[in-house]
Amino acid sequence: MKTLPGSRQQKNTTVRIPSSLDRRFEAAIFDWDGTAVPDRSADAGELRSVVEALCKQGFDLVVITGTHVGNVDGQLGARPAGPGRLYFCVNRGSEVYAANETGLELLYRREATPEEESALDEAATRTVAELERRGLTAAVVSQRLNRRKIDLIPEPEWADPPKARITELLQAVQDRLHATAVGGLTGAVEIAVVAATTAGIDDPRVTSDAKHVEIGLTDKADSARWAFAELAGRGVSPRLTLVAGDEFGSLGGLPGSDSFLLVREGTAATSFSVGSEPSGTPTQVLSLHGGPQLFVAVLKDQLERRLRGDVPELDMAEGWTILVEGLDPAHERVDESLLTIADGCLGTRGSPLFTDPSTAPAVLLNGAYTGDGHSTQLAIAPPWTELLSISPEHRAVTRTLDLATGLLREAGPYESLRFSSLARPATVALRLQAGKARLKRRSKDRSDTPVVAALIDRRLDQTFERLAAYDIDENRARGRLAEAQAMGYEALLKEQRMAWAGRWQTADAVVEGDPELQLAIRLALFHLMASVAERGEAAVGARGLTGPAYSGHVFWDSDVFVLPFLAATHPEAARAMLEYRIRRLPSAREAARELGRRGARFAWESAANGRDVTPPSVRGPDGKLIRIRTGELEEHIVGDVAWAAACYLDWTGDEVFASGPGRELFIETARYWASRVRHTSDGKAHIFGVVGPDEYHEPVDDNAFTNVLARWNLRRAAAFPGISGEERAEWLAVADALVDGYDPSSGIYEQFAGFHDLEALIIEEVAPRRPIAADLLLGAKRTAGAQVLKQADVLMLHHMLPEDVAPDSLVPNLDFYEPRTAHGSSLSPAIHAGLLARAGRYRTALEALRIAARLDLDDLTGTTSGGLHLATMGGLWQALAFGFAGLRPYGDRLVLDPRLPRDWGALELALQLRGQPLRVRIDRSGISAGDGWKVDRKGDHWEVSPR
Amino acid sequence: MKKVLAAVDNSSAGRGVIASARALAALLDAGVEVLYVRVDGDRTVRQAAEAAGLELRIAEGPVVERLIKEGAADDVVALVVGTRRSHAARRALGRTAAAVATQLPKPILIVPPDADPAPVFRRVLVPIEGSVSSSLAPRTVFELAAGAEIDAVALHVYDESSVPAFTDQPQHEQPAWEDEFLHRYCPWGLASVRLETRVGRSGESISRAAEECGCDLIALGWSQELSGGRAPVVREVLELSSRPVLLVPVRSAIDSRDTTTARNSGGAEQHAFSPSGVSPFEGGTNP
Repeated sequence: MKTLPGSRQQKNTTVRIPSSLDRRFEAAIFDWDGTAVPDRSADAGELRSVVEALCKQGFDLVVITGTHVGNVDGQLGARPAGPGRLYFCVNRGSEVYAANETGLELLYRREATPEEESALDEAATRTVAELERRGLTAAVVSQRLNRRKIDLIPEPEWADPPKARITELLQAVQDRLHATAVGGLTGAVEIAVVAATTAGIDDPRVTSDAKHVEIGLTDKADSARWAFAELAGRGVSPRLTLVAGDEFGSLGGLPGSDSFLLVREGTAATSFSVGSEPSGTPTQVLSLHGGPQLFVAVLKDQLERRLRGDVPELDMAEGWTILVEGLDPAHERVDESLLTIADGCLGTRGSPLFTDPSTAPAVLLNGAYTGDGHSTQLAIAPPWTELLSISPEHRAVTRTLDLATGLLREAGPYESLRFSSLARPATVALRLQAGKARLKRRSKDRSDTPVVAALIDRRLDQTFERLAAYDIDENRARGRLAEAQAMGYEALLKEQRMAWAGRWQTADAVVEGDPELQLAIRLALFHLMASVAERGEAAVGARGLTGPAYSGHVFWDSDVFVLPFLAATHPEAARAMLEYRIRRLPSAREAARELGRRGARFAWESAANGRDVTPPSVRGPDGKLIRIRTGELEEHIVGDVAWAAACYLDWTGDEVFASGPGRELFIETARYWASRVRHTSDGKAHIFGVVGPDEYHEPVDDNAFTNVLARWNLRRAAAFPGISGEERAEWLAVADALVDGYDPSSGIYEQFAGFHDLEALIIEEVAPRRPIAADLLLGAKRTAGAQVLKQADVLMLHHMLPEDVAPDSLVPNLDFYEPRTAHGSSLSPAIHAGLLARAGRYRTALEALRIAARLDLDDLTGTTSGGLHLATMGGLWQALAFGFAGLRPYGDRLVLDPRLPRDWGALELALQLRGQPLRVRIDRSGISAGDGWKVDRKGDHWEVSPR
Repeated sequence: MKKVLAAVDNSSAGRGVIASARALAALLDAGVEVLYVRVDGDRTVRQAAEAAGLELRIAEGPVVERLIKEGAADDVVALVVGTRRSHAARRALGRTAAAVATQLPKPILIVPPDADPAPVFRRVLVPIEGSVSSSLAPRTVFELAAGAEIDAVALHVYDESSVPAFTDQPQHEQPAWEDEFLHRYCPWGLASVRLETRVGRSGESISRAAEECGCDLIALGWSQELSGGRAPVVREVLELSSRPVLLVPVRSAIDSRDTTTARNSGGAEQHAFSPSGVSPFEGGTNP
């Protein structure tokens, strides 16, 4: 028996709340009879009031009981309005109901098959017969849903014993059983188990409450598992959940009925018993005695915490938590980037609530730019978190970001919790208890920004709350603020938890066996999801909404590195990214016209209006002025946009997009390529004067990546219906004529015309380390004259268009180009990680993967302070999905060809294919994909398809 | 009143030492005292002091010990010495200058023999290796010069060991990198600190950058160690630079910043972040 010392007396009661419960929880799972109420005839009016009030404050409650819903709901009668929910898991694991304002809603029922019903009848009959044979008269007393109940002591005195007489009852039953050849309660249960198994029930759930033996298809453990899964789907983790019962301890040598609530999924929950527990409780259960009165007091205490504005807790789960202790001036700006909270539209860096010379707070709104030309940059929006004055000696705060829910908590001389609402983008909320800090007077709003912030503050005793909504239109901002205000902080918080829980269900990636990598993956996916809007258009800059670096300019980073993750997990966001490009088709057409070409020429760096905003020059690290020619020459962006559209279509099959704006994208980009090529007298087509992904060499002719991408673009567009015969013929002819630099004898693509004539300098051998900025190490001129690559170039083809490159050409090109790659671009390591995995080179694949995974956590570029590298994060996911898992969508199927390193126990990826969720799991035993999907082995690969 | 001590010898270098001392004193809002520890004659040194309108104080005793003792006085904020007796001297750094610089824990301005400094130092080149401790050394100078108008040019030199891993899109990467570098290693609260970067050998790059950027002073943080081949960058700069070089001991900088750091960081100790040892800001030889 465990009793905790220390407690707090609840206001106006004599009940003491133990210290282990002295914090805010978000949900409770509890037994009914004996825990929430003394018996089934007791008045539950007070409990009803508390339950409804808690639900109104966002608290979820789950009743788990063996009886049917009529008994429980008939007694409780609660009709909560939400946002918290009340569930009834009844009939011992076979049914689930939800109670709301209008009544009860059946959510789930386990329906037994006719064979199972017969088996249950037979099991019960056999049990009674065997008990009889051993001298005990027993009777089948009820045929409940999915179970049969046998009364072991069918005597009037024990017709309906109250919980308070459990000890007496148990003694009476044991005496009765021991007087026969049954040998006690455990003997009775063993007889029932044998009977059930003999009757053909595979996994019989046999329980006893001392008076009865029940043989069922389900039990309370099924209810508990359902409850934890449901709460997880609502963003409530076990650590934030209470589990209460009155019979956890053993009863007559058998597990107590509430011990079935202690499932593996709820290990982190706080469990307590209010029962007398004569045999003690399991070690993880707090034995508080106190009966239903204590249970109700605990619920009231939780309600009081919410009403007075306690700052909510975080889960602190391993693999989901980014924690920064203190404020290190040398590292603060990096930390702020990592701790950014965003909702796809608005991002707020994770600066503390007080200002300090080392902090660099910023609030950024998607698509809101200032300036023009290459000076265009994301506007800094008015702040909403610069709240406190605090003396320097009190600035040791701990900031914790929960990646599962997007909640950022600060604790120390004050406590606060804030978030940017994923459910209501560009709406933010904060709750604060100031402690030693002092609230500043609200400063005047910035007038030098096109972004408007509508704010409202509320004080309740020691608690301060702020809600804010952002927009470029003041009326819209005010309207959203009014909606948020009507909901209130608790309801907004509940929405936030649920919204993020929903996102993670179709986006999570799990690597078993590498916790450090796992956290890095979750950080990456969190920021990818947080940086991309799912409605309207999403202008995803290189650093998303996490910082001002790269000015919010949109590069191929978005189309090629970020979009695929979203296409495969949250296609609405991918569609919004494509909408950004679609709305800039007019500018792209104009740009093409200015060059004397047809179709659409997307800008290398794009911002508000789609015109090129690439800065023309910069003073480089060597102090010399560098002319920047990527805006002028890096034209593969045209094909990258088309590729992104194809990627989206491959995962979604969106017919509306395919026949509408998607078709337009493909056609206009194909037209551009058709007009871009030059034909030579030998009938070949060339693209002269470009820059490929490898930017160390400029300009070049017939960059293999650009040419093969263009060829693919032309052929893909030509397959669309409604293209004129003449145009289709032109595109196919150009595609066929385009040179690609492939040499069948070596299996190698020449990166560009003349690459093989350059100095054969192997950067892997001459550089002190890689990644390395080879242009600085060797000088720009030497680098340009050598076979040194900044990043994957030819190999990008094997990553993006594996079916459009020569068969079996990955290995020769990997062998040739990887040692020549300096990886001087943060985009490079993840791509190589995936390709090295495809080639089965796990050690180097994992080295490259780790660089990508740690890029921002370890600030490997020295610029994470300006924002996170979204392309690297997207590349990390692609390495896992396309590299290690080897998966690709084909229609409504997924094809997998995994390559798992020995150290990984499993790789799991949550996905959406054609609107259907699936969860692919690859481990040593094989591949599974979840309910509704089947996995078939097809030669050297697997196929996942709908059942 | 605080003062700058110009330690002259009876050589052609004295004039430059005195002029540099006056410029430094103007920066630090201090007076100038010209000190000669007698070794041989004194006519050249007297005339140099007289030409500068300054009195000459002559002291006796072993030169190094006497200079260290005089420099240690509470009212002395900096000592000025010549690098060597003439530009034809064999050693880049004379014995006396080396001995005093390694033993006196105060800023020491080392003046090349043919220096012709401006009356006031207006622009200082501050090489920054990329660690918090070494970046604090120049801060001492700026704190001393609070209120003076000084244009600071921070300089970071990449050598083979510190060439960054990534350049990405340099038109954005470089400004972002520079912005963070200044935040992290130049927290001096000055209105105008701009950053220059170079690639190459540190000493050579520093000397060249000082000329290219129009700097009239170079300030280097250092560990006051010359033995065993230490401080190669300091040696090289002293050899090559035509500008006076202010050597600021790192230890004295850390001592002076202790309370300041504690005030600003809530007690968190400042350190250069490098959990994986691959920080782009570390590396290079500590000058």
